[in-house]
Amino acid sequence: MRFQSQKVAYWFFATCMLLLSLQIVYGFIMGFARIGFDGLHDYIPFNTARATHTNLLVVWLLTGFMGAAYYIIPEESDRELYSVKLAYIQLISWVVVGVVAIIGFHFNWWEGRKFLEIPRPLDYLVVVNVLTFLFNIAMTIWEAKKRSTTQLVLFFGLLCAALLYLPGMIYFDNQTLDSYFRWWVVHLWVEGVWELIMGGILAFLLIKLTGVDREVIEKWLYVVVGLTFLSGILGTGHHYYWIGTPKYWLMVGGIFSALEPLAFLGMAIWALNMYRKKGKDHPNKIALYWTLGSAMMSFIGAGFLGFAHTWPSVNQWTHGTLITAMHGHLAFWGAYAMLVLAVISYAMPNMTGRKLFTGMSGYLAFWASNIGMVGMTGALAVAGITQVYLERKLGMDFLVVQKEIVFHFIGMLLAATLFTVGITYFIVDFIRHGLPSNEAIGKNVGDID
Amino acid sequence: MLSKSQARAFFLGGTFLFGAIFVFLTIDTLRQNDTRTNAQNLTEDVLKGKEIWEKNNCMGCHTLLGEGAYYAPDLTKVVERRGVSWIDVFLDDPQAMFPGERKMVKYNFTKEEKGQVIEFLDWVGKIDANGWPPKPNIPVGSISTAVPPQITNNVVKVSQPEKFSQLCVACHAVGGKGGNVGPALDHVGSKFDVDYLNRWLIDPQVIKPGTNMPKLPLSDTERKDIVTYLSALK
Repeated sequence: MRFQSQKVAYWFFATCMLLLSLQIVYGFIMGFARIGFDGLHDYIPFNTARATHTNLLVVWLLTGFMGAAYYIIPEESDRELYSVKLAYIQLISWVVVGVVAIIGFHFNWWEGRKFLEIPRPLDYLVVVNVLTFLFNIAMTIWEAKKRSTTQLVLFFGLLCAALLYLPGMIYFDNQTLDSYFRWWVVHLWVEGVWELIMGGILAFLLIKLTGVDREVIEKWLYVVVGLTFLSGILGTGHHYYWIGTPKYWLMVGGIFSALEPLAFLGMAIWALNMYRKKGKDHPNKIALYWTLGSAMMSFIGAGFLGFAHTWPSVNQWTHGTLITAMHGHLAFWGAYAMLVLAVISYAMPNMTGRKLFTGMSGYLAFWASNIGMVGMTGALAVAGITQVYLERKLGMDFLVVQKEIVFHFIGMLLAATLFTVGITYFIVDFIRHGLPSNEAIGKNVGDID
Repeated sequence: MLSKSQARAFFLGGTFLFGAIFVFLTIDTLRQNDTRTNAQNLTEDVLKGKEIWEKNNCMGCHTLLGEGAYYAPDLTKVVERRGVSWIDVFLDDPQAMFPGERKMVKYNFTKEEKGQVIEFLDWVGKIDANGWPPKPNIPVGSISTAVPPQITNNVVKVSQPEKFSQLCVACHAVGGKGGNVGPALDHVGSKFDVDYLNRWLIDPQVIKPGTNMPKLPLSDTERKDIVTYLSALK
């Protein structure tokens, strides 16, 4: 850590850890409900668990992105953060809004639109909050002596993410339009501007961890985010096949979603190539594991598995089945969750001065959670394919089919347990690092730049 | 090899071009939307139904137009598939209709609210969704099976009452057609007499406490028709 104000990132990361743990708890509630153990039905019915599970994911990833920005932007700008106080106010209000929303879900207070369940009054608070965050980051960049591509791409990504939240706040009478503009938020976030944020964070980590010339890394950053927008914007079309929009979306969505893996492939090749060109070894191997792992898993989960079911003639059967859940799990894990964990792994030793990356637990965290997540994805894949054949192709009743796939959910719960073991190792390591310390200022552990 | 400024131009140019195409297609989609979704049928009731749908986060379990949580059935064509009266009875006490199965919250909707939800689902079912959901396309007959096809040698002398095909078939099968939540009714007429069937339909709980069969809202004539029909199934 170079600057005192970077310490604020720690509290964002700590919030991440808390919300991630809670997300896993709700995941288990849903998993057990699926195999018939729905004991919490009267208190936490499935729709509550589901809304909580997915919203916690979004909130903890955004918290992670904010923490990453608060850590990265001062270092890239070569100056202290514009206002540390504002950052703390922003974090506290962010957590309050999040907690109120989650509690609200348990009392039937929500908007009832998939992924955007946060009630409207809280939406306004989110907007104010994000504007505060962006103001703080923008002022830091504005008053900086240094401009870097990484800094600008990251900022542009965060800004677009904020702007694209707005179409989700318009009310439509018409279900088709409602859905149409909801995807402007959901799709254009995760398959658009979040990838920009991801690219920015990856670039920063690659610069720090591999020591390859900044100019080279940033050139490829442009190429990768260019590919993202080139395919991702019109790729939104794969959500428009069957919701009542014109037929040409089948062609537009089909072609451009088929191109979407290219961006992720580009990301993976870029990261691996930069690693191959590295000048010398960075001691923080765990951070490198998460960084390269994120680049590769995002290609498999978001790129390849997404590709596997977005072609219209396939999608008409897989649409709205567990196949989507299968793709969703590995995509979010690879692209965004692993990336946030990479930033945390990289930043913690720098912020606290404690070099815990030499131990075994970091590797255990990495492998257990990854193997666990791949296992969960596999279980969902088999369940999903079975569901498609029995329910969609043969026309069997929904509930009858659900009973046929209970077994795979037992497998999923076992894999989820392994995943949880990994995450537990990660969180224990996080706690063992302790609080950020002033003594660590100016002493980045082993950075090559 | 590509220079950094060329890479930047690729990013900015690509984003602008495809962003512009996306906006253009959106405008055209909006233009066609009223026709494709029968916007003229968006009555007060449909809109109220949508509000109820969202207020209770139905999409947190159910799926609609293929979007949702995959925990409960897709309801895009539910009005066509189940019919209004079945949904009406179902919403009163969902668990009574599928005992021991996946649970749905009992929302205690009023008669009016139930009607609004049904109106909304009916409107959704008529949206031009490019032919989705597709009909099952592997005919069951093409799969070789060790079990011989259902043989029904009972001669049905009475035609199936409308109410029976609206409600009962969701759980019971006759001649291999219908649900499998309750027992098949192919020979029910030889097992029980008219009086028993009649009393059973008035309130199943009185005859057999703890049974999974719900008390159905049937008028006297409807009940009589069903009893006559069931007695003929021998």
